[in-house]
Order: sequence, then structure tokens, then C-alpha cells
Amino acid sequence: MRALIVEDEAAVADDLARALSAAGFVVDVARDGDDAWFKGNTEDYDVAVLDLGLPRIDGLSVLRRWRDDDRLFPVIIVSARNDWTEKVAGIEAGADDYLGKPFEIVELIARVRGLVRRAGGRASSAIRIGQLVLDTHRMSATYAGRPIRLSQLEFRFLHYVAHQDGRAVSAGELAEHLYGAAESGDTNAIEALVVRLRRKIAPEVIETRRGFGYCIAGDER
Amino acid sequence: MKPRSLRMRLLLGAAVAIFVALAAAWVVMTLLFERHIERRVQADLVREGMQLAASLSIGADGAPLLSREPGDLRFSEPASGLYWQVTTARGSVRSRSLWDQGLPASQVARARDWSTRFTSGPFEEQLLLVERVVKPDRNGPEVLLQLASENKSLHEARREFGAELALFLVLLWAILSAAAWTQVALGLKPLARVSDEVDALKRSPRERLAAAPAREVEPLVRAINELADAREKDLTRARRRAADLAHALKTPLAAIAAQSRRAREAGAVDAAEGLDRAIQSAGAAVDRELARSRAAAIRAATGEMSAAALPVVEAVVGVVERAEFVAQVVFEVNVPPKLTVPVAAEDLLELMGALTENAARYARRRVLIEGAQSAEGRVLSVEDDGPGIDPAQMTDALARGARLDQAGSGHGLGLAIAQDLAEATGAQISLTRSALGGLKAAILWRQLLTPS
Repeated sequence: MRALIVEDEAAVADDLARALSAAGFVVDVARDGDDAWFKGNTEDYDVAVLDLGLPRIDGLSVLRRWRDDDRLFPVIIVSARNDWTEKVAGIEAGADDYLGKPFEIVELIARVRGLVRRAGGRASSAIRIGQLVLDTHRMSATYAGRPIRLSQLEFRFLHYVAHQDGRAVSAGELAEHLYGAAESGDTNAIEALVVRLRRKIAPEVIETRRGFGYCIAGDER
Repeated sequence: MKPRSLRMRLLLGAAVAIFVALAAAWVVMTLLFERHIERRVQADLVREGMQLAASLSIGADGAPLLSREPGDLRFSEPASGLYWQVTTARGSVRSRSLWDQGLPASQVARARDWSTRFTSGPFEEQLLLVERVVKPDRNGPEVLLQLASENKSLHEARREFGAELALFLVLLWAILSAAAWTQVALGLKPLARVSDEVDALKRSPRERLAAAPAREVEPLVRAINELADAREKDLTRARRRAADLAHALKTPLAAIAAQSRRAREAGAVDAAEGLDRAIQSAGAAVDRELARSRAAAIRAATGEMSAAALPVVEAVVGVVERAEFVAQVVFEVNVPPKLTVPVAAEDLLELMGALTENAARYARRRVLIEGAQSAEGRVLSVEDDGPGIDPAQMTDALARGARLDQAGSGHGLGLAIAQDLAEATGAQISLTRSALGGLKAAILWRQLLTPS
């Protein structure tokens, strides 16, 4: 696993490098925006930890350039600029997560691992059902060509239902899959999730088959 | 010192000036009227006197003789106020109205011309007296002709005229004052508009005064707008400096955290823990101060702000749902697309961000964000199905500066920050138990009663 650390503060960059190395990553460090953009564009990374306040090119611009060049590795922003306007701007520029400084290194490692796990390797693969396309690499989706950002839970829901070959999945089964065996009786959250997805993507994207459960529209295999 | 009203000063000035002018007019007009009446009476007396002179002859004893007396009946009625008397060195004849009295002897009368004077006369009357010395015969004696009219009726006429004129002038004064009031009101209207706009500017530094309603107030409008620009720039600079300060403090804090980890690895566990605690509280203090400076900026900026709630809520959820700790949480957003709240979008973002992140941290499966508009006002609420807060602690959670997170009891700094921000936008925040089982935080912007 290769990680790119983009941080201009030497002590923080060293600490991140040591912590990620200890967590099993092969680490490269970039100290300014130029270097970061070059490394991100020429090397293949599994994850990048990106500071925003950088010399030469600021972090957000680096991120936008990566995304414009289809460099789709997961990026977690680590910034002292911790207000919500910055967080939203970061996510909208293509970041996958945002952590404010000062942070607990344990939390950062957990989030980085989460991003890598969700990305599931570098190969991009798409699942297409009707008008819905799930990108398993970016954990994102498009519906009728319109890009849709999904939370982890939403993605896991769609991913699971998409893999059932058109079989309707009951709320209990979904709860068990998403939350664990002990939670199969708690289906309120699943119903709320369906409402949320219908509102977020399109009302008709998830069909309810009375007495059976849920399936994705157009999944008539 | 209470500033004096320009309108009152102008009105008072106009009223006093008009009053003085009209009073002077009253005095002058009354005098002119009096002189006019006097001249009329004088002319009447002289005409009668000329008739007297025409019918005058001298008797053999040297006393005056009249072939025909003046016809006015008042000459025949005793003490009527209208008298004549003809006097020679040898005797005199007089009107019956003089009865047994006589007109005062002449002091100034000379031949060839009528002279007029005021004098005391018979019956304790003040008289207007005209007199002239004539010679009916070239070689005869001189004859003094005197005719008088009492002055009282003249005074009375003047008084009546003065009273009627005063009444008319008071009416005129009232009309002119009303006209002055209208003029002042019209003249000050542009200033009143500027004043209204300055009020709006006070509430929101983003407001600017519209184009000057009159050329005379244009420099004022321009100066105020320049001042507002300068103030807004200062405000923006202050915000940016606060954010820069946070950045300047947070990066070293992250560096100290790195040192702390090294110390821990080197076996100095106690020192590392002390450092971590200090870093944590310094970080929280920076966040808190940032929120305070933002709240202060909002207080200076509240007014005609408005933000659509749904896009802001969705943007916040879009960030929060990225975090690893919400991997199993579904965010239910139930906010009407048309709902707006009276706060700037970026401030609403901070407010909803603090509440949503707080709820997400403690939620088990669900976070519900709802919005509504009712007769009471506009409400946004965030609730979760987490452990919630002990009802007894809810008040503490909102107490200014509460640090329940440090006490390990869960909801804390996020709520305190949200409260600061909510109050700065003029909202009230309340904590209750959610139907989902956890905590429900609701922000209420009360409906402002606007005159319909």
C-alpha cells in the first residue's frame, strides 16, 4: 500500500510518515503543492493525506488538478482550516474525508485504512443496473448520467442489493448485512435509508416488492 | 445630551419668524388704519369748517354771525362728540352740542391753513380738533373757526379693526406654519430615507445606501457608504485574522502532538499524556474562540440575511457522512426545499455542521434532520438515536462554556459552539429527548411581527 503525505510542516510530516509506515504503508512525502501535484500525477498511490495550506500551490488546487487528470485515489484532507465552508469546499473538490488539526493519529490511521478498504484496490470497476451505475472504486454512483455522492452506508446498501441478481432483499436481511447479525430485527434505519436514497437519487431507483423486500429498478435479471 | 430635532428646529424657526413678521404687519396696518381714519375725520371737519366760513359774517358789535349752521344733527345734540365754535375778540358762537362748554383756546392756529391737534375738551373727552383763523372782511377782525370730533370712536374703530386683523393674522399664521411644516417634511424626506437605510446598514454591514435621493445629501450618502465599505473590510479582515490565528496555532499543536507520540514511544508516557491533554484543551479553546469570533461577526452582521436551509443541510451531511465513525449511520433529511432561515449561508453551515457532527458522533444508526415553518417561526432540528443526555444535564450542556465533552459525558463542545452561533443569529436553541431515543437539538428563529 502506497500513501502520499502532503504536508509542509516538517514535524507533522515526519510524524505522519512514521505512523503510516508503522501501519504498513510505503510512504512518500511532498512538502509543497508543486511536488504534491507532480507525485500524485506520476505515481500510483492507494491514498493521499493532504494539507491545505501549502507553499506554491494550495492543497485544494492540487486536489482539483488531480481529479481533473482522473487521479482518483482516495484523499483525506488534514487541515487547520477547520470551518465548515472549508470542509464543504474540500469534499466538493473531490476529497473523500476531512480531518481538522490537531488530530489524534489513531483516528487518522483509522480513517486512512477505511478509505483504502472502501476503495478496494486501484482497479476501477462499475456495476450497471438500469440507469444506476455504481463505481466500486470511488464508492460513488451516477444515475442517468448525473453524479451522486454516497455515504458508506448508502453505498454498501446499493452494492449489496445490486449483487442479488434481481432478488428482492428484505429489510431484516439488509440490517443483518449492514449492521451485523444481532441487528436483523431493527429495520427502522433500513426504511429511513431507503427514503434517503430515493430522495437523493430518484424516487423510482429502489422498488419495494410487497412481502419480499427491496430491489434496484431495472434489475430484472 | 439628547440631540435636538432638526425638524423641530426648522419648524420652530419658521413659526417664530412668521409670527414676528405678522405681528409687525399687525402693528403697521393698525397704525395705517388709524391714520387713514384720522385723515377722513379731519377732512370731514375741514369740509364742515369751510361751510361755516362760507356762512360767516361779523355783526355790528364785532361778534360773529352765521347765516346758516352746519346741518349735521350731531351738532345740535349736547355732548354728542361733534362740535364747532366760532370766536372773535368780541364774542363767540358755538354748536348746541357744546352746551355750556367751549372748545379750548387756540395756541397755534394761523390764517390760511387748517391745523390739526389732539386735545382735552369738554365733557372730559379727548378731541381731534381742526382750527383756522379767517378774515371774512378784508378790514374786519380775525375769526377763529374750530371744529372737533371726540377721539373715542376713533379709538374704538381702531381697536375693532385691530382685533379683527389679529384674528385674521393668527389664522394666516396657522396656515403659513402648516405650509412650513409641509415644506420641512418634504425637505427632510431624503434625510429620513437615508436614516432608514442607515438603520438597515446598522443591522447588516453588507447593506449599502441606495443612490442619493437629493443632490444635497449625495456627499453624505457617499461618505456613509465609504464608511460601510471600510467597516465591512475591517470585519472581513478580523475574521480572516482569527482564522489565520487558528491556523497558526493548530499546525504547531499538530507538531507538538507528533513530539508527544515520540515521547510516548521513548517511554515518557506521563509526559506524553500531559502533552496530549494540553493539546486537546488548546485545540478546543481555539475552536471555541473561533466560534466566538464568528458569533461576534454574525451579531454585527445580522439583519436581512437569508439562506435556503436544504442545500446547507445537504452540504453538511455530504461532509459528515464521509467520516469513518458514521459508517453505519443513515442521515434522514426532511427539510422543505423552500425553507429559508434568517442567517447567512456560511454561518448556517457552521451551525448545522456543529450540531450534525455532534449528533453523528453519538448516533447508533440514525440522524434525523428536520426543518419546518410554523406560526411560531422557523425551526431546524437535529436528532439522533444515541444514548442522549440525562435531562438534568441538558441545561448544563447549554450553559455558556460548558465542557461536558471533557467530563466524558458525550455531547458538549459542539452544542456549546452551536448555541453561541444560534444565539448570535437571534435564534433559540433547545435540547429535548428525541423520539428516536437520543438527543434532539432544535433551533428556533421566532417569527418577527412585521406590520402588515
